[in-house]
Amino acid sequence: MQGAEALFEDKRLGFFLYLGVETVMFATLFATYLIYTPSSLGAHPSEVFTAWAVILASVFLLSSSGTLILAERGMEKKELKTVLAGIVFTLLLALLFMIIEIYEFYEYVHHGHGLTANNFLSSFYVLVGLHAAHVFFGILWMAALLFLYTTKPPHGYLQEKLKTFSYYWHFVDVVWIFIFLIVYAPYIF
Amino acid sequence: MTIDHLFFPSDVIMAWIFTAVSIPVVTYLILKYRKMPLIWEYLTTTNHRKIGTLYLLFGFLYFLRAGLDALFMRIQLALPENNFWVFQSDKYNELFTTHGTIMIFFVAMPMLLGLMNVAVPLQIGARDMAFPFMNALGFWLFFSGAALFNMAFLLDDAPNAGWTAYTPLSTNTYTSGQGNDYYVFGLQVSGLGTTFTAINLLVTIIRHRAPGMKLKRMPLFPWATLVTGVLIIVAFPVLTVALYLLMFDRLFGTQFFSGPEGSPVFWQHLFWIFGHPEVYILALPAFGIFSDIISTFSRKKIFGYNSMVIALCLIGFLGFMVWAHHMFTVGLGPMANTFFAITTMMIAIPTGIKVFNWLFTMRNGVIRITIPMLFALGFIPTFVMGGVTGVMLSVAAADFQFHDTYFVVAHFHYVIIGSTVLGIFAGIYYWYPKITGKILDRTLGKWHFWLFLIGFHLTFFPMHLMGLNGMPRRVYTYNRGSDLFELNFISTIGAFLMGAGMLFFAWNLFKTHRSAQIVSNDPWGGRSLEWAVSSPSPEHPFEEKVPVVERRDSFWYSMQEQGKTEETEHRRPGPIAVKTIQPFIIAMLMMPLCIGLIYGWWWLAVMSGILLLGMFFVRMMTDERKQLYLSQGGG
Repeated sequence: MQGAEALFEDKRLGFFLYLGVETVMFATLFATYLIYTPSSLGAHPSEVFTAWAVILASVFLLSSSGTLILAERGMEKKELKTVLAGIVFTLLLALLFMIIEIYEFYEYVHHGHGLTANNFLSSFYVLVGLHAAHVFFGILWMAALLFLYTTKPPHGYLQEKLKTFSYYWHFVDVVWIFIFLIVYAPYIF
Repeated sequence: MTIDHLFFPSDVIMAWIFTAVSIPVVTYLILKYRKMPLIWEYLTTTNHRKIGTLYLLFGFLYFLRAGLDALFMRIQLALPENNFWVFQSDKYNELFTTHGTIMIFFVAMPMLLGLMNVAVPLQIGARDMAFPFMNALGFWLFFSGAALFNMAFLLDDAPNAGWTAYTPLSTNTYTSGQGNDYYVFGLQVSGLGTTFTAINLLVTIIRHRAPGMKLKRMPLFPWATLVTGVLIIVAFPVLTVALYLLMFDRLFGTQFFSGPEGSPVFWQHLFWIFGHPEVYILALPAFGIFSDIISTFSRKKIFGYNSMVIALCLIGFLGFMVWAHHMFTVGLGPMANTFFAITTMMIAIPTGIKVFNWLFTMRNGVIRITIPMLFALGFIPTFVMGGVTGVMLSVAAADFQFHDTYFVVAHFHYVIIGSTVLGIFAGIYYWYPKITGKILDRTLGKWHFWLFLIGFHLTFFPMHLMGLNGMPRRVYTYNRGSDLFELNFISTIGAFLMGAGMLFFAWNLFKTHRSAQIVSNDPWGGRSLEWAVSSPSPEHPFEEKVPVVERRDSFWYSMQEQGKTEETEHRRPGPIAVKTIQPFIIAMLMMPLCIGLIYGWWWLAVMSGILLLGMFFVRMMTDERKQLYLSQGGG
């Protein structure tokens, strides 16, 4: 096991550095949002945001981190049923999040609060949209993991793949917490 | 579409003719000398030396291309009110934009990353870069981004808003063609590659050092690489976001950087929060190269090793706190200007420490004037002059006079050519045995060095005086009788001397390729581990054993004391070498993706995007680590 473990440690360090890169990107986008919000022209954030959708989306996304932890536990205990259930539930919760987010964006645009309406909305969409793109990518990643699962790979290999994904997914969740606190919370409560 | 759109200017037609002639010629030569297997080998390799060679090769080609831009600019400026070929007004804007962008992103960056790829793993006793697959991907992304950027010229739509792409000029209100979109996407794609390579270098240095190679025993080039890697992963994502926002402004109608609410100054902040660390990303590796070279050719350990490392870290740290010195004239107020003036002046302290340490390393040393050492000796006074004008520019009040004049142009060419370009040449001459197994010719090297150095000072020293006389940068002409003619004419002569120097370098590469013999492991009497392996470095260095490292410059001491090195085994597995075309395909798919976005051909963008995601899936299913787990018994 020694060999593969050392190489996975390399990969983990590299992936954490990559998440550091992502952190700087999101931090810059948060700064952009704070600079341009609220806008001097057009809609104020409190007129735009739909509180229930935001809260519901948050519940789905944050609990998806919990179901993913379930899958990781299953991996450690070599209970493949738990792993499968964990990934499937995480995937479903992520899909629910995406549906609500698409609905939310659709509603905003429908009410004239589109990407180019004012700089608050522009910086809102480029930040929250980039996060949504990360969730979308995560969904595809989970689908690929499920496919990998069906090919019955070596246990250690599957565990490595799941761990890498879980770092990504928990990171995407943490970004959402900051989006909730910085983008939405000041204007919906 | 008017009749004007159907005619390209003659420079673009020349480029088309050149392309149309060179493609069949190159194809013929490849077929005639049966080089297809070699090309396939390099398309699929993940070996650090080969990828480093590719970085150096393409960096050098772009150096010639952007150097040609520079010569065109110098010819246009040689005489007052000159009208050389087509290079006036907007064409001149394209010239200085492509010159600057290519030199920074597609010459200096890849050539430094190439030298790091070649030398760093060997210097620390690693068997390859930590992630060989990602290493290849990083290179091909640079290749793809650079190709994308250069395509714009062939469509007579080269980027023209300067390498800094200041808004609102770079928004589509003022530059409505596609040229600056190519800038945005070209930098985005190659920036992604740079980020990957930086992560790779960091993990390699942190986790793949040979037994006994503590951080405090590392040579200074790996140290410089380590600090540079950190700068890259902090600075590049800011550029990524700046370009991302500019993309939305140009393509999707947002107004982050212009309009009633947008702020052009916000672009300047984002760009320079990236851009100033970028200056140190270019300079620090050169410092590392010169430290190793000066130590080797003085037959002395580096003077003040600890202070050298601390100075590298301090420069890297301070590099993030000086960005607004590019913006003194924006009107950020006296408090901001004072703060950034002081931090800028502070950088002179660690840099000065390094300069004195290099001098003290040479003092009482047994100095051998080889070509790499010549470049190092040329570097010190040149770079110090650039540093001194840097301190002059940091005085905010005085900067109001210097800003956007040729004084600034003189300053940054003194620092960037003085450190980075001379450092790259020094590094190529120094590590050429590890890249090809041969030593570059000494006589031709001297011609290269002296022509380039004299040409350099002749080109750029007069620019200080032009700037003080009030000549603005980025303007394609000047009036008769404005006391600028003599200085400009001298400068143009200097530029051609530099060009002649480069011809000698190209001739040297050719001549060495044709004739020279393969040299031994250690042709220079080197001090670090790269000289323990054969020349050129083997495909799998240190695979069985690695020299014992008990102290700094351990290799040199054991060669002096015993004439050989004690060897030991690695305590951990090395990276898994693979041969794969996937990195090339992934990077090439970025091109239709970006072109689809630039022209709004959404079907193309979506299709390439799907193929790209498909490639991620292919990569996941063909991961070489699966075999490792299988061989370990399914664990």
